[in-house]
Amino acid sequence: MKKLVIVNSIVAFSIIAIITFFSNCATSNIAANKSGAQLWGENCVRCHNTPSPETFSDVEWDVAVMHMRVRANLTDNEAKKIAEFLKTAN
Amino acid sequence: MMFKKILKKDRMKKLILIIVIFWATSNLLSAQEDLKQQVDELTNIVDSLENITKPGKSKFLLRGYGHAGLEITDDQSTFVGGSFNPIFIYKQSDKLLFESELEFVLENRQVEVGFEYANISYLLTKSVTIRLGKMLLPFGIYVDRMHPAWINKLSSNPLGVGHGGILPSSDIGIELRGGAYLGNSKINYSAYVINGPRLNEGDDEPEEAGQLHFDNFPDNNNNKMIGGRLGFLPLSNSSLEIGFSGMYGKVGARDTEYSDVAASLYAIDLSFVQSLNFMSSVLDVKAQYSGVNVDQANYLDTEDTLNTGATYTFDNTSTTYFIQAAIRPALLNNKFFRNLEFAARYSELNTPEGSLWDTKLNQWELGLNYWLDWRTVFKFTYRITQGEAGHDEGGESPVGNAFLFHWAIGF
Repeated sequence: MKKLVIVNSIVAFSIIAIITFFSNCATSNIAANKSGAQLWGENCVRCHNTPSPETFSDVEWDVAVMHMRVRANLTDNEAKKIAEFLKTAN
Repeated sequence: MMFKKILKKDRMKKLILIIVIFWATSNLLSAQEDLKQQVDELTNIVDSLENITKPGKSKFLLRGYGHAGLEITDDQSTFVGGSFNPIFIYKQSDKLLFESELEFVLENRQVEVGFEYANISYLLTKSVTIRLGKMLLPFGIYVDRMHPAWINKLSSNPLGVGHGGILPSSDIGIELRGGAYLGNSKINYSAYVINGPRLNEGDDEPEEAGQLHFDNFPDNNNNKMIGGRLGFLPLSNSSLEIGFSGMYGKVGARDTEYSDVAASLYAIDLSFVQSLNFMSSVLDVKAQYSGVNVDQANYLDTEDTLNTGATYTFDNTSTTYFIQAAIRPALLNNKFFRNLEFAARYSELNTPEGSLWDTKLNQWELGLNYWLDWRTVFKFTYRITQGEAGHDEGGESPVGNAFLFHWAIGF
């Protein structure tokens, strides 16, 4: 059991280190220049119909986008751009 | 004399002019003072309103979904109450989120309450989130992403999921998850440690001996299950995702002959969503292949009444898969036709030969949907299930044909 905890901890820290490393690598220009509208169209539709920006208020979109950031594994940058677009377009 | 009169007249005019100017100026100043006072009052009102409506960092959102419908099978025709699933989402701060889902279902004339998940998520870094509590497991894509009634494109689940299925749904534990770019491509990941499923040893339910139960029991052997999923989105528009999932751990109860029995589960999944401009449509393809391997063990043979204590064993391997496609002419100008969607799904379930729950089933589901808006749908599904089920759930055989009409709404 103790060995399992140690192994799992090492694996967990390794994953964090690897992901942090990759997230700090230079993202391509295509990915970095995507607008909030484009990210909204590309990511939401992977699971469900694209939600209309008018669905929620600004405050509600803050919560909904954070929820979807966790569930859809969006990056921090993607979530911020999508939230800003939805709050501008609602 | 005349000159004096004229001069006197001019002086009078000037005096009157001065008086008028003075009077006008004083009134103007007074009016300006009034106006300034009114502006100040209005400013104070606006400021006080801003303080009332200015959002704080803590925010709450109630969402969820519901569905119900009509089901016509070979044996019966009945309206079904479906379910009501409220989802509570609370954003404590820019870093901390709480979410929970309940399920209220009408079954056997009673309201059954299900506790789907409740967990907190903390955004550790830009690409790493830590999640703790009861959570939907990212094993494949169906349970984690596709099961809500307003997202599922058909009126029932594919074989292998839910009642009579072999796939995990939720468990209690701790998880790291997130996503990151690799140039134009993306990856997403999840790694978790959970209590894990429990092996049914057959003591209480001999007909289910050897099955894994994913009912969120407390850990029965101090041996946690580890698992994870890695998803890869190779295209710059994120339209294609391929995922690999795995879980491993001991499932037998400690201090029993099954304490060393372990299980390994794996899944490969695919998702492809793409606009087809030449057809004015959006194509949505999803697929998942899953396998469950449980170490071989001996189970009490309750059907051998001549030899008390006799045991039997079998190769405890199960597989299930589904492939689904949906197409919707969402780019058409005609409002009616662009809300129509055609969906089809084929699934199979194979459980161990030699077990008392030996099952070989295949299923076709053909559907026509009409979307009232982006989260409200009417689903017409025709389902054909063929094969053999060794263990009927509640005495109902899954084999046969069915027509299902459901409405589903997300809110």
